[in-house]
Amino acid sequence: MRNGLTIVIIFFLCLPLSGITGEESGDHSAYVQHVEQAFILMFQGDNLRAISEFEAALAIEPDHYEVLHYLGMAQAQEEFWNKATENYQRSLALMPDNIEALYSLGVAYFRLDQWIDAVPSLRRVIVLSPQHARGYEMLGKSLVKLRRYAEAVPTLTKALTLSPHGAGLYYELGTAHLNLKAYPEAIENFKLAIAHGPTGYAEPHHGLGTAYFRSGDREKSRAEMQIYQQLQKEFAEYERLTRLTRAEPNNLEAWTELATLLMNQKNFARAIPVFQKCIELAPNNAHFYHGLSRSFMGLNYPKHAAEAARKAVQLMPNQAILHNTLGSTYAMQGESQKAINAFRKAVELDSEEPYYHLNLSRIYQGMGNQKLAQEHHRIYEYLLSKQK
Amino acid sequence: MNIFCPNRSRGFLLGYFPKVTSPLRIGITARGLLLLLLSVGMSFGASAQDTENLILISAGTFTMGSDTRAADEKPMHKVYLDAYYISKYEVTNAEYYEFWKQQSETVPPGQMPQYTPENFTHLPQIGDWPARVKQFPNHPVVGVSWHDANAYAAWKGMRLPTEAEWEKAARGYTNRTWPWGNALEPYANTAAKDDGYENRLAPVGSFPKGKSYYGVMDMAGNVWEWTADWYGDVYYWHSSQAATKRPKQNPTGPAVGSWRVLRGGSWIDTIARCSTTFRFYLYPNLKTSFVGFRLAKTAF
Repeated sequence: MRNGLTIVIIFFLCLPLSGITGEESGDHSAYVQHVEQAFILMFQGDNLRAISEFEAALAIEPDHYEVLHYLGMAQAQEEFWNKATENYQRSLALMPDNIEALYSLGVAYFRLDQWIDAVPSLRRVIVLSPQHARGYEMLGKSLVKLRRYAEAVPTLTKALTLSPHGAGLYYELGTAHLNLKAYPEAIENFKLAIAHGPTGYAEPHHGLGTAYFRSGDREKSRAEMQIYQQLQKEFAEYERLTRLTRAEPNNLEAWTELATLLMNQKNFARAIPVFQKCIELAPNNAHFYHGLSRSFMGLNYPKHAAEAARKAVQLMPNQAILHNTLGSTYAMQGESQKAINAFRKAVELDSEEPYYHLNLSRIYQGMGNQKLAQEHHRIYEYLLSKQK
Repeated sequence: MNIFCPNRSRGFLLGYFPKVTSPLRIGITARGLLLLLLSVGMSFGASAQDTENLILISAGTFTMGSDTRAADEKPMHKVYLDAYYISKYEVTNAEYYEFWKQQSETVPPGQMPQYTPENFTHLPQIGDWPARVKQFPNHPVVGVSWHDANAYAAWKGMRLPTEAEWEKAARGYTNRTWPWGNALEPYANTAAKDDGYENRLAPVGSFPKGKSYYGVMDMAGNVWEWTADWYGDVYYWHSSQAATKRPKQNPTGPAVGSWRVLRGGSWIDTIARCSTTFRFYLYPNLKTSFVGFRLAKTAF
């Protein structure tokens, strides 16, 4: 009884203190939970939900410069450039000389076509970090947009000495030289942009055509302009389908064409929302889930890819290719046995497709089972030669 | 009790981490007793037993980076490192507790010391500090910032490994994709469901088959590990552009930056992010449930 009374007294004595600390720690605990969840979502590519989590965290504890920057980065991923700019500024108000936040702010201004505002942030980046290749690159691009070509040339040249990723830089440098009427330098840089750039990189062909034209070489100019027009056609098709889907949001055929075009261009990031729209319009079509899965795979999000592939298999269990894709998603996650089961199912449904055997061979190879790896590789080579 | 080695601790009591060599191993002699007393006295410093869990990585060149993976891992290039030690395991809750306990003595009662790990009340499988020390003494310490990790390392008379040191210890001379080799195996605690530790941390050393060429444990999965270096997306490219034809010597990363490099992947990551070349970066003041660290020391 006496012990019980003592406990009750101690409990009441402690109550105000524990009440306060409990509330504070409870709030902080919620903050931690939101931040952790946001990171996990960002890793999974779910930026929209990550944004909500970061916002929830900042509603509890607003003065975290790093979380404000991460929030801006997630918003930038979704191209919410105004919001991103706002959060970068809030972050920089707390930590003014933060190199990466300054760089992010410069990029956001650039994307908002506010090039004049981008310049001071980017100049500060290269003062603080003289080897910051991306800082020089964005500053150079901003100066080209502002038609300050003479300033742009040394900035972009410096960026090229610091960065191995040159295609875009060569293009910008070519543009600056072109506008400074330095045609041989412009031609050289446009050629380098084409050589280093991805397939279908249209703009440098236009620049090269213009440089040839202005330096009097009409024939070469015409050839380059033809290439440019061909590449532009593909872009125009993309634009047409984008407009069509905007005007007719329930036009499944248009969405399907757009998804196909994006997949052909390996533009997985843009393909994902298009496939999701297709699924919304035709929820029982396995091919859309398959496309969604392939897009997630292309962006290295195997968990999401597996989820979509499983759904596709559920809808069309006798399609070998769907099992093959499911197997690939498991393989990406290191779930070897599940991958084998799925690849085997694909082979069971279509034993004449060489690439299903190749996948089996690779996964067995990875598991150290040389015998089965070699066996499936032999079948793969045989089927491939038969197809040829 | 050897708190570096998992599955060896018995009779754990919160607040008491004797870091002494077993009397049975020393032998009960006058010299042995003296050593025992000395080691008790040294319980907050590096003890003789610590060296057992440091792995010597010999001097020499190794291949850093990858030509086939992410842009910031390119290009594959040779780097020379002097000999160094790296800890076999990540720093555990129990080990970090010793440091924290000493720090606690320097602050007024009721206040938490500067280097207190973050609480994860929403993740009972990780829990709050210091209660989780008792529950999970051999789990890697998480919720520590880069500054916390650095302070602990300095307290131990050591330092964090550079990015190059970390990568060499993980991939060895044979350019392994994962510490254990090139085969996809469940030898690490990742987000995959077949590793035995779904949605939770594993005690250090739980995946002996996942050890690196040098015998370093847990270099893939479980927790990301802070390294000493700032992150630079073109650092590998610069590192490959040595002024002379000789490989770059003991690189220490960019001179300035915003983010510190983390390596190895964690319990919330796919196996692809746990490769020996994958580079990740975070603000150094962040304290998350998926980041820990290990120690390094220049050998000679």
